[in-house]
Amino acid sequence: MIRRLSWVAAGVVVVVVALVAFVGLFMLRQPGPLEGTTTTLHLETVAAVGQALEWPRPNDPHPDWVGYLPTTTWTVPANSTIQVQIDQEDGATGLRNPFWGKVFGTEGGNMHVTFFDDKGNPQEGDMTSIDPTQAAHTFAIPDLGVFVPLLGVNANAPAGSTNVITFSFKTKGPGRYRWQCFVPCAAKTIFGNGGPMQTIGYMGGTVIVV
Amino acid sequence: MGAFRIEEADRPHILRLLIVWVILSAIGIVGVLQINYPPYDQSIQGQDQASTLKLLTALATPVFIAVVMMVVYSAIYFRRTTKELVDGPPMLGNTPVQIAWVAISAILVLFLAVVGIATLSSENVAQLVGAPGRTIGGGQTGSGTTGEENKEIHVQVIAQQWYFTYRYPDYGGVETTHLYLPVNHPVELHVTSLDIIHSFWAYQLGVKADANPGVDNIFHVTPQKTGSFQVRCSELCGLWHGHMVDSEGQVVNQSDFDTWIAQQQKDFETIASAVPSYAPYYFPLPLVKGS
Repeated sequence: MIRRLSWVAAGVVVVVVALVAFVGLFMLRQPGPLEGTTTTLHLETVAAVGQALEWPRPNDPHPDWVGYLPTTTWTVPANSTIQVQIDQEDGATGLRNPFWGKVFGTEGGNMHVTFFDDKGNPQEGDMTSIDPTQAAHTFAIPDLGVFVPLLGVNANAPAGSTNVITFSFKTKGPGRYRWQCFVPCAAKTIFGNGGPMQTIGYMGGTVIVV
Repeated sequence: MGAFRIEEADRPHILRLLIVWVILSAIGIVGVLQINYPPYDQSIQGQDQASTLKLLTALATPVFIAVVMMVVYSAIYFRRTTKELVDGPPMLGNTPVQIAWVAISAILVLFLAVVGIATLSSENVAQLVGAPGRTIGGGQTGSGTTGEENKEIHVQVIAQQWYFTYRYPDYGGVETTHLYLPVNHPVELHVTSLDIIHSFWAYQLGVKADANPGVDNIFHVTPQKTGSFQVRCSELCGLWHGHMVDSEGQVVNQSDFDTWIAQQQKDFETIASAVPSYAPYYFPLPLVKGS
């Protein structure tokens, strides 16, 4: 009898501890210190990470791989506005799915782009989509519904030119969200989806929302 | 053929086993019939699968109990009691017993085959617009309702590394980032891929279909309950395969669907001219891309 009662008591203790842990961990969770703020994310995309203009990685094991720089793991606050600036250095390679030429999930549903026209003159303006054949890369966080095509640098632009794409989006709650590029931009691989598209640290990574 | 006879000494064992088996089987069958089986009942096809699974489990229960019971019973009552290693009594074939287990197994398997074929054919019947025989949303398909109400909606599922998009050719070829379906409406899914092999798995709807480049893989589903469902890739497809999930699939009523698709069409206008006309499948060309 005593043994049975001991088991019952132990069971009750386990349930109570589990409940307290659940309440403590999830229900009374305090918001992160930066929740509700605005954070800036400054990135660079380049066809060969070893030759980037801003954050070159000459000692990278694959210096000729395409990549986002300076890092592909971004930590941002939850439930906040993230202002993104991407300095895009590559020419257009085109989207396999033209649908991704449209901007999704940004504030205002658009992006601001400074670019070069066919005569090599600088231009700028707000865009809700681009010609899918003129995309160099995309910035996409599917689980946050964010898809932004990045306009390729015009072939007539001055050497070393960069398109600058800016936009902002809102984060959800804490978690780890993958991001990726939807342009099959891994040169010399079948379907353009090998190498840097299949390796974290180049054209894909994680957004850590805290 | 030798006559089937039970040794006098074995009769208490057989009687005991039979009684225990009948009782445990009855309890087991009642128990497994209480379980709500996946993929549940969000679609007619899902419900058919769940019902088939329930039937299979119920039929397998007495067999499972018999096997486990024999093992446990033998371990208790027929275990070796002496330390010496001696052979057991020789066991010769018993033709009546063999005929009995082959016949019972054959009957079970054939019965299940008939049930399976009936389930498959009933799904096929449900696909046919205006075909009588299946109830959709409480009404009779074809015989009780007409035209538009049961007209199949076509949806193309486009897999790509690492996301699914959807095209609705009946609505001007609009492409969307989530899959919305109207309730009680037959849907014809055309599953394909833009790059490599994926697999479209709408678990709660009971639909799983390979997504191959250059292939139009056609599947049918009729959602019968509103609510959300998840789409995920079930074919290992590269770095972000584990993240190739859309948790925002929705089965909605017709008016909500009309509102949603109208908004999608409006949003799509900005990119419509750049998206090619609807095609049943895509070939991933060029084979080599890159900057």
